Formats: sequence, structure tokens, C-alpha cells
Amino acid sequence: MLPMIRSEFRKLSTIRGPWLLLAAGPVLVVAGVTGLVQSGANVHDPAIQSKALAHVGLAALFTLIFGILAVAGEYRHGTVTDTFLSFPGRGRVVAAKLAVYGLAGAAAGLVSSAVAILVTAAWWAAKGGSFHLSAAGTWQTVGGGVAANVAFAAIGVGVGALIRNLAAAIAAALAWIALIEGIAGQLLGSGLARWLPFYASEALDRTSVIGSARLLPQWGGGLLLAAYAAIFACAAIVTTLRRDVT
Amino acid sequence: MTEVRNGMTRRDDVAGRDGIVRTGGPAAVEVRGLTKTFGRVAAVQGMSFTAPAGKVTGFLGPNGSGKTTTLRMVLGLVRPDAGEALIGGVRYGGLDRPRRTVGALLEATSFHPGRRARDHLRVLAEAAQVPGSRVDEVLDQVDLAPAARRRVREFSLGMRQRLGLASALLGDPQVLLLDDPANGLDPAGIAWLRGLLRGLADEGRTVVVASHVLSEVAQTVDHVVIVSDGQLRFAGPLGEIGGTNSALESAFLKLTATAG
Repeated sequence: MLPMIRSEFRKLSTIRGPWLLLAAGPVLVVAGVTGLVQSGANVHDPAIQSKALAHVGLAALFTLIFGILAVAGEYRHGTVTDTFLSFPGRGRVVAAKLAVYGLAGAAAGLVSSAVAILVTAAWWAAKGGSFHLSAAGTWQTVGGGVAANVAFAAIGVGVGALIRNLAAAIAAALAWIALIEGIAGQLLGSGLARWLPFYASEALDRTSVIGSARLLPQWGGGLLLAAYAAIFACAAIVTTLRRDVT
Repeated sequence: MTEVRNGMTRRDDVAGRDGIVRTGGPAAVEVRGLTKTFGRVAAVQGMSFTAPAGKVTGFLGPNGSGKTTTLRMVLGLVRPDAGEALIGGVRYGGLDRPRRTVGALLEATSFHPGRRARDHLRVLAEAAQVPGSRVDEVLDQVDLAPAARRRVREFSLGMRQRLGLASALLGDPQVLLLDDPANGLDPAGIAWLRGLLRGLADEGRTVVVASHVLSEVAQTVDHVVIVSDGQLRFAGPLGEIGGTNSALESAFLKLTATAG
């Protein structure tokens, strides 16, 4: 397992695309927090402080696409052939990718968190508010955001292994986020909708901090998202074992 | 049709001799009854042959005759509907350290365009658990050392082919399976490739070269496997079908002519 993991790290460290993608996370956080402040948010309200920090969870969009690149990117460039020649045990290759990309997702989430705290503190200082790390919900929000970054990296690995066409995999993921889940949620009603993956992620990363009665509790959202990641991972391993690499 | 039968008869003759070859070559490649259908296309049907150790085996057939699918089945990338392929008596998936036993070149485009040549090999070296010094050795061996730090997107087809060969050689394997290795090489490159293949076989390795360009092959190979429409037409020493370039070509054309 160790050579697989080292080889995956080496792959990641020798191309630029994935890092540019992950760098978009902190950029989104800076833009999001700045936008929140500029649109007249009350910097004296602790709930608004949490709302600013919740942008960490939104950065999970990028770890999702980052995860999709893990397998679908290898099919895109044909390097998957070399990977499976090195390691004919394909199930373990997918497992190694889950570990490596999950770890990278965690690192990206931590960087986004640090950036979110610094930018929020800077804006709060500039606007005369008082930023407190000890304020209610701060660490819950940041921790949930990092967990969402990890979970979506793992879900991405699964999605990319199931839909091996890179463009199709990214399109399907974005369409699900932007359209399908919203429509499905309305059709199902809020009682059932909260069991959908992005509703679960909202509960986990507290991107809708106020009025979340319709969502699961944070721990419930986290567990549900982990279950989704596990389901995708199992489906990915099963299909990857079966399919021909032509 | 008669010619095809002749080919089949000859193959049976050779199969008898192959019994000797098998015991003589621990790293020989044995293909036994491989069959694969994609949708309604019968890509490979009952393919059987042996590529002996210490020889260059030319795996010849027209485009679309099942060569690449056969190699991919040998390498465990495509699951056969029937039959099996053994490398030194073991399936690819059962090899302990596959890259140190088998080196494969499948297509010259299987690189991440943004990765540097040297980094591509370092990824494979980590995977194969070979020392990093092997990376520079194989780069020298394929004359790619000056371009080692360039990204693959800047490479010509010939340079990609050399990088693919370096990848195959990285684990110092006893068996080399090369699909169309001369593709994209200039005449000097092809001459260099012939020398490389000859040298590898002379060291006792099993070298299988799939190609549809006979002139590249005739001067290098000892053993010939001719396929057409996913079926074996001939397998045996080059000498049995003439040995010269023109004799090989006429045999090839007869054996691969679509019957009916």
C-alpha cells in the first residue's frame, strides 16, 4: 500500500493543475468574506462571524473537482494504463487515491480556514467590530468546513471512477449541485431533502447558519456525508475492478 | 482458404516444438485460447501462441487484427472472455512485482502533458520500488537525458515513444511487450530501436514487438506470430516462412488475406 500512496503523492506533486484548483479555495474565501462585509453585514453579530467563516465549506466545491481528477483525469490522459500496470490490484489503487486525495482535501480545508480567519479578523478590525475565536460557533463552523473539504474530495474520487469521462464527470457534479438537488429537494419536501448530499453538507459546514431547522444536526450531516463518500467509494471500486482498460 | 489452412497446419507443427521452448524459457509469454468480444465485435478468437525467452517475437497483423487487445489481455488490463495468458507461468495480476518482471509500451500518448519526462519516470519508479538512479539510467539508454526536464506536451511523437520505452525498461524486466514501438521514430531511431531490441533478446529477455510495418520487423525478429481478424494465422521461427523481407511480406499478405 505504501508504494501506491507514495506514487500518488508523486503524481500530484509533479503537475500544476490540481494545485491551481485547490488554490481557488482560499481565493473564494477571501472574495466571499469581502463580499459579505461590503454588502453591509453587521460585524458586531457573532452569527455573522460564523457566516463569514462558513465560506470554508463552500471551498469544498474545488476539492470535489480535485477528487474527480484523481481517476477521471488518469483516464483522460491515458496514464491509468501505467497505474494499473504498476498495481494490478485496482481496488487498492482506488483506496490509495481516497487516502491521498482526502488528505490533500484536509490540507486545502485547513489553508482555507486559516485564510478565512485572517480575512474575517482583518475586515472586522477595519469595520470596528470585534472578532473572537472563542465566539459561539466559530470552531464548529471551521471544523465542519474542513470536514466538508475532505468528504467532497473523497466523493469526487468515487464520482470520477464511476464516470470516467472527465468532462462528463465534472458536468454531472456541477449540474447536481446547481440544479438537480435543488429541484429534487423541492419535489421531496424538506423532511426528505435533508438526506440529500448537499443538504447534508450544509448541515455539516453550516453554510446556512441561521434557520437550519429543516437540516440534520451538524454531526448527522457529517455522518451522512461520510456514508455517501463510502457508498461512492464502494461503487467506484466495484466498477473499476470489472471494467476493461482499453 | 487453402493458404490459411496451411498456416494453421504449420502452427500445429510449431506448437509441438513450443513444448521445448516453454521449458527452456522461464520468462516466456504463453497465450492460451484468449478470446474477447467487444459488443458484437469478436476482437480476439481462441488466440494461442508462445513467445520464447531470448528471442524477439514479431507479433504481426493488419490494423484492427486484435494485436493490441491481445497484449492488453496479457497485461491484465482487459479481461478475456475465455483463455488465459501466462508470463513465466504466472498471470500478470499474480506477479509479485509486475514492473520488474514485465515492461510494456502500449501507446505513445499515455502521459500527462504537463508532467516533466523525468517526473513521469520518478512516479513509475516509486510504484515499481526501483531506486531513483534507474530513472537517469533509462533516460540515457533511450537518449532522452537532454530533454528530461521538459514537459511532455513539448515532445514530438518520437520523443514520446522513447519515453514510453524508458518506462518499459525502468524495472529492468525480463519480458518486454511493445506495441508498435517504431511509431514516430525517424530512420535513425528505427535503426537504434533494432539494436536495442536485439541486445535485450541477446541478454536472454523475452521481447514481443507488435507491428503492422513488416520492413521494421523482418531484420530484427527471430520468431513470428501472424494474426488476422482476431485469429492466429501462423506462429513459428522466421526461417519457416522464408526469412527474407520479401518472403515475409508475401507470407503475411497470404495469411492475412480475408478468407471469404
